[in-house]
Amino acid sequence: MKLLVCIKQVPDMESRFKPDASGIWYNEADLAFRMNEYDEYAVEQAVQLREKLGEGSELTVLSIGPDRVVEAIKKALAMGCDNAVHVQDTAASAKDPWQIASIIAGYAKDKSFDVIFTGMQSQDRGSAQVGVTVAELLGVACTTTIVGFAYDNGVITAKRELEGGIKGAVTLNTPALVTCQLGLNVPRYPTLPNIMKAKKKEITAIPAADLTTSESLAATTSFHPPAKKGGGIVLEGDVGELVDKVIAILKDKTAVLR
Amino acid sequence: MNFELSQDHKVLQSAVRDFVEKEIKPIAMKIDEDHAIPDSLVKQMGEMGFLGSYLPEEYGGAGLDMLSYAIVVEEVSKACGSSGVLISAHTSLASGPIYTFGTEEQKKKWLPALNTGDTIGCFLLTEPGAGSDAGGTATTYTRDGDHFVINGSKTFITNGGYLGTGVLLASFDRSLKHKGISAFIVDLQSPGVTILKNENKMGIRGSYTTAFAFDNLRVPVENLLGHEGKGFNIAMDTLNGGRIGIASQALGIAEGAFERALAYSKERKQFDQAICEFQAIQFKLADMWTRIETSKLLTYKAACLKDAKKSYTMESAMCKMHASETATYVTKEAMQIHGGYGYIADYEVERMYRDAKITEIYEGTNEVQRVVISKLLLS
Repeated sequence: MKLLVCIKQVPDMESRFKPDASGIWYNEADLAFRMNEYDEYAVEQAVQLREKLGEGSELTVLSIGPDRVVEAIKKALAMGCDNAVHVQDTAASAKDPWQIASIIAGYAKDKSFDVIFTGMQSQDRGSAQVGVTVAELLGVACTTTIVGFAYDNGVITAKRELEGGIKGAVTLNTPALVTCQLGLNVPRYPTLPNIMKAKKKEITAIPAADLTTSESLAATTSFHPPAKKGGGIVLEGDVGELVDKVIAILKDKTAVLR
Repeated sequence: MNFELSQDHKVLQSAVRDFVEKEIKPIAMKIDEDHAIPDSLVKQMGEMGFLGSYLPEEYGGAGLDMLSYAIVVEEVSKACGSSGVLISAHTSLASGPIYTFGTEEQKKKWLPALNTGDTIGCFLLTEPGAGSDAGGTATTYTRDGDHFVINGSKTFITNGGYLGTGVLLASFDRSLKHKGISAFIVDLQSPGVTILKNENKMGIRGSYTTAFAFDNLRVPVENLLGHEGKGFNIAMDTLNGGRIGIASQALGIAEGAFERALAYSKERKQFDQAICEFQAIQFKLADMWTRIETSKLLTYKAACLKDAKKSYTMESAMCKMHASETATYVTKEAMQIHGGYGYIADYEVERMYRDAKITEIYEGTNEVQRVVISKLLLS
């Protein structure tokens, strides 16, 4: 069986973001980058399936971007992917989800992948469109936001997270694509011996232009911090009243109380 | 020149950092309070490959380089100086000399269990009367058929309490001073080995510091490391490499304290502003960071020189000396920035301040480092 996992390298979300000179994306200077959190769940699930299938199966990891994304690729290789594709694109952050999906589909179309894993969304752009668009372009089955995964004899059984804590179960025949959500698994740490082994694994470099020429369908026009709001709400009154007010706010504004 | 880590080293750094953040940082205070690193953490660090980072894969190591090792010790020590020195003493002082001076049989026999952390290594050099002056070794050995018989005592042995594998220095003729010393690989589970005590210390309290007595400890002749009478050279070479590990530990402690001081200076308000707005605090932060950066450059340089198989004696002495003095300085200033809270045991800088001091003392006091550096300058 052939497996593919698509990953993105994103800035550490604890970074302080500033708009870039054009004001349409963030300034990358001084940012530390790491693998998109949801993609880590995708890699872990793909590696678990690869381990279950054993000999004769192959797991490829793909990432699009400048040279720095090779760091994320090497992490995925150290976690257990067999080989990698680095789609070289110094302008990946300016591409919309349609173009990114077109690149992935352009690579995958003649490779007969049985299962493709992606994160449910990226932590920086957060469109949640790339996975489903890849599935559509390839004409394969797809389900999203999975928190449970099982594979047996050509059939995937996925547990999906729905609104309000409700779960759904979906079965799909392969070939299929799934997008992975927090709670699916606990990604393994790349161990030092596996980091060493990963150095010997093959990383194929392909220029993005070789895989797609699609134009963008949506353009980001501005990147800016939200306008500063006034201070928070200050509650007043005796303890009993304060508790009632807090409970009312928690019920109204959050999912903590219902 | 290029001062940036390679992509492979960045991958390693980030992997180690994630592990430390989730598995070590949350229990670092408890390790100090309990005077013990949980066995489960030692096992996990073994599984991660932290205990055999630069040893070759054929002996069960990870096959990485000295710079990777320095990064591992640094990152671990940012959260926990005790765990950092466990790795450093184990790798540099036990696995290191066995790999460098051992025969093929010895490497195959001893290194795999050390590299996976199934046994923990230690280096038995220091004695009650022989510290910086290793030539004063009073532990003696005699030959008895196909065994050496060792008698004497050792003190301040990091990792000793694990009773794992030790590299032990003993003399066959004390009048020969350093020329009478030989090195042995010792299984500390053997009869004749007694723990006199595990010391109660100011800092790195999770790390064992053990005093031993040896009463007719019988060591098979095949456990002689290198040649008889060459033990002193083995010890000096071992400490030379070990200093990179201690420099990395000190660097990590300094960085850990700096991170907390920087964050605290932004949170803590006095006179209606965060204390980081005061120039008095800003200057402290600038001085702390500059010393950290210079320590890092020296430490990484020493590691890279060792990787390149170039002479690194001067650099390892300098990085150990400078990083350890940076650690005591930065932890002291971090405590000062925390004010009274820094002196309270609930705040991590209190522990880091205590952990830092030993780095100026062990694996060659800083006075000895200055001797090494000045001798090389004048030779």
